[in-house]
Amino acid sequence: MDELLSDGEKNAKTVTCQRCGSVVLKPNNATLVKKEKFLPSMRKKSEGTDQAGDTLQEFWLVTDMYTFENVGFTNTVENIKFLICADCEIGPIGWHDLSDKQAFYVALERVEHK
Amino acid sequence: MNMEQNSSSGGSASRSSPAVPVRNRRLPQRPFDYKFQLILIGDRGVGKTCILERFSDDTFSISSKSTVGVDFKIKTIKTKGKTIRLQIWDTAGQERFNSISAAYYRGAKGVLVVYDITNEETFENLPKWLMMIDKHAAPDIEVIVIGNKTDKEELRQVSTERGEKFAYEHNCRFCEVSAKENLNVKDVFLKLVDDIVDKVPPEISPFGFEDTKLSLPRSEQGGREASRVFCCTTG
Repeated sequence: MDELLSDGEKNAKTVTCQRCGSVVLKPNNATLVKKEKFLPSMRKKSEGTDQAGDTLQEFWLVTDMYTFENVGFTNTVENIKFLICADCEIGPIGWHDLSDKQAFYVALERVEHK
Repeated sequence: MNMEQNSSSGGSASRSSPAVPVRNRRLPQRPFDYKFQLILIGDRGVGKTCILERFSDDTFSISSKSTVGVDFKIKTIKTKGKTIRLQIWDTAGQERFNSISAAYYRGAKGVLVVYDITNEETFENLPKWLMMIDKHAAPDIEVIVIGNKTDKEELRQVSTERGEKFAYEHNCRFCEVSAKENLNVKDVFLKLVDDIVDKVPPEISPFGFEDTKLSLPRSEQGGREASRVFCCTTG
């Protein structure tokens, strides 16, 4: 964990898409937060199994959407927009709750750190 | 749409909210020079979404029944030594001419009007789309007309010349692309963004640009008066 952090709280490395390598966040732009959140599983619609998802604990928090290098926002589902890769659209890699305009979360487990 | 309105009115609350400026030496340098909103419009089926996507079949599904579509994307491109954040809105699914909310047009600096070169009707509808832009968008918005699906040359119904002529007559840029084969797609975005950046008055601080746009007289560059047709044909 420590090698992912700089200054004890920021992302030390570039955050990229696990599948296509698209850059999501540059170093030192997001803050680590621990928080329990259920996200639907990352699977393509072509893959049949109905695996619901995971409860994740660690997220990179960004307070302004323009901090992202590249990211996609889905349509709203129950007041939430899921974050996806802007290039290959795999996701959700994180979420944004419309009731908190300054919080965009990216799950550490669902991205690469380079 | 709420988010768009928020982002344009607040420019991010972080800049406007604290009454006393908070200095934080650790705050990273602002990682971009400009941010612009772009929108993709055009008839149903012309391939707007494909232009924005590289692998369009891989959109994830929340349940086995419904697929959650993409609302918008933040993309970063570099041009002329500047780093530009683009917020790109795809209007797919709202193609009936009057159903695309005026809010989409209002904040946009650039618009990509897409037709399908294999479908005459989508070309003939272009004037209606331009009318929507004239009605709702800022007068200095940059417009590029895009003929998509050059990968289906054998089914072509609209010649490149007609597309060029139309764009020339309406003082828009023009380009033919194949979203499927990812041909010219990036060039289209770069051209459009270059045109937008070229319009930013040099004396205006890049960071202040979005907040000051309402008070800026833009007379000398307003409108689509300059004809700058270009064509990046695929042949």
